[in-house]
Amino acid sequence: MGYSFEQHKIIGAIEADDGFWRALEDGKLQLPRCTGCKGWTWPAHHRCGQCGSWDFAWTDVEPQGTVFTHTRSRYAFDRVLERKDDVPYVTLVVELPGADGARVMGVLTGDESGLAIGAQVRGHIRPPSAKTKHYPAIEWELVR
Amino acid sequence: MSRMRGAAAIVGIGQTPYYKRGTSPEPELKLALRAITAAAEDAGIDVRDIDGFVSYASERSDAPKLMPALGTRECSFSSLVWFHGGALPATLNLAAMAILSGQAEIVAVYRSMAETSSQRLRVMVAQNDTSAQYLVNGLDSPAQILALRAQRLMEYHGVPQSALLATTQASYYHAHNNPHAYGRNIEITDEVYANARMISEPYRLFDCSRENDGAACVILVSAERAKDLKQKPAYVLSAPMGTMEGGGALEENWRPYYATAGQKELADRMWRESGYGPKDVDVAQVYMNMNAMGIGSMIDHGFFSFEETGEFCTLDNLIAPTGRLPINTSGGDLGEGFIHGMGLIPEAVRQIRGTSTNPVPDAKLSLVTGGPGDIMSSTALLGSEETL
Repeated sequence: MGYSFEQHKIIGAIEADDGFWRALEDGKLQLPRCTGCKGWTWPAHHRCGQCGSWDFAWTDVEPQGTVFTHTRSRYAFDRVLERKDDVPYVTLVVELPGADGARVMGVLTGDESGLAIGAQVRGHIRPPSAKTKHYPAIEWELVR
Repeated sequence: MSRMRGAAAIVGIGQTPYYKRGTSPEPELKLALRAITAAAEDAGIDVRDIDGFVSYASERSDAPKLMPALGTRECSFSSLVWFHGGALPATLNLAAMAILSGQAEIVAVYRSMAETSSQRLRVMVAQNDTSAQYLVNGLDSPAQILALRAQRLMEYHGVPQSALLATTQASYYHAHNNPHAYGRNIEITDEVYANARMISEPYRLFDCSRENDGAACVILVSAERAKDLKQKPAYVLSAPMGTMEGGGALEENWRPYYATAGQKELADRMWRESGYGPKDVDVAQVYMNMNAMGIGSMIDHGFFSFEETGEFCTLDNLIAPTGRLPINTSGGDLGEGFIHGMGLIPEAVRQIRGTSTNPVPDAKLSLVTGGPGDIMSSTALLGSEETL
């Protein structure tokens, strides 16, 4: 049995983040850390541009951070029609202090009051579903 | 001073009408042929003599398909510039380099799109390079991704909504006088703007560019050859392309700049290459995929700071003939029409010729900025002969 996301592969962009999705599907948030200079390489890439290493250690990161920015989608866009019944929905860019400020995206779940840049959020890892294109996903909830 | 400075000039412009997206009576390739032949006629050049073809992004009307219908005698140079709308002004850079290095003598720079020949512009422009990190989280369109930047620009850096409104009103104010503008009959009152439907917060409908079918072309030749042709030349003073470390394909991890356009170093390079600065510019065609991104572009170009944006971006300041910086004088991407920004270059040229429908009197320095927030971008300063 392989991973769900591997059977529904979205092609395009850098395509070095399989480790991220694999970990997420296993229920963990992991980001790649260069084994050479120990820097967080995010978005994941094939080579560390800072030290030249080709090796990365997928490393656990606490799923908590702060809202860097956000948008509430009020329209069902072409390539994300799976979410048309959820419109309007909020997507966040979250800064992770546990990974030197690397930013990851995710949909906001729960009570939206108090949504603002700088607000504290905690992540919940969700299994693959049609809505997330059969990829696992991290959803964020505002910390009260 | 750069060898590029003033080496080539735009001597011909040609455009089809702007059609509502999906309604062009002619296919994409035919629209490209119409724009190129119109530009050749405007320049007084035999279209068969065009030997260079330059476009950008996902353009599909390539030289081999165009040549038989143009009667092209010999194509000696053809190339696409990476990336999306960011590549727009860099097409002038590439064309000028081809001319300067002797690879081509007459270069057509063009863009054509018809939805029925391809697909929805907002899908097509992404070239299937939107990563899973976005799509899994409900983000697809440039409107949504650029909304993230706009939210930061407004909420964190304090740029007021009134600045966005002013850019939209200035665009439609100019469109009103332009018989070719698709949005010429739309009046953007404060109420119309505020009551328009939300697309992706903070963007409402009229913060966004249009999507049209159409084509546009400009023709470049060497500065020497330009002198003998029938139109007043618009010289390419500088048209750098690029991205700095901390920009590029970083999926919302841009540092240190996030909320502007990623054009700061690029613009600095343009000022150095051209020998001019923001205070010298007479008129600007600012690429507005979304209006807040265009504001970010103007900040990166040094026209004003975050703190000064509200005071600078008022309707009076942004309109011809007497505003501090008249922008998007044909109506631009918001009010005139949008064929991936290509309408901006002909308008920048018309300002130098004095033939814009919203002329800035005696305009000598005319700016065209590339797609703001694109993973690679560019910017171009055009000048009249006196600016060389």
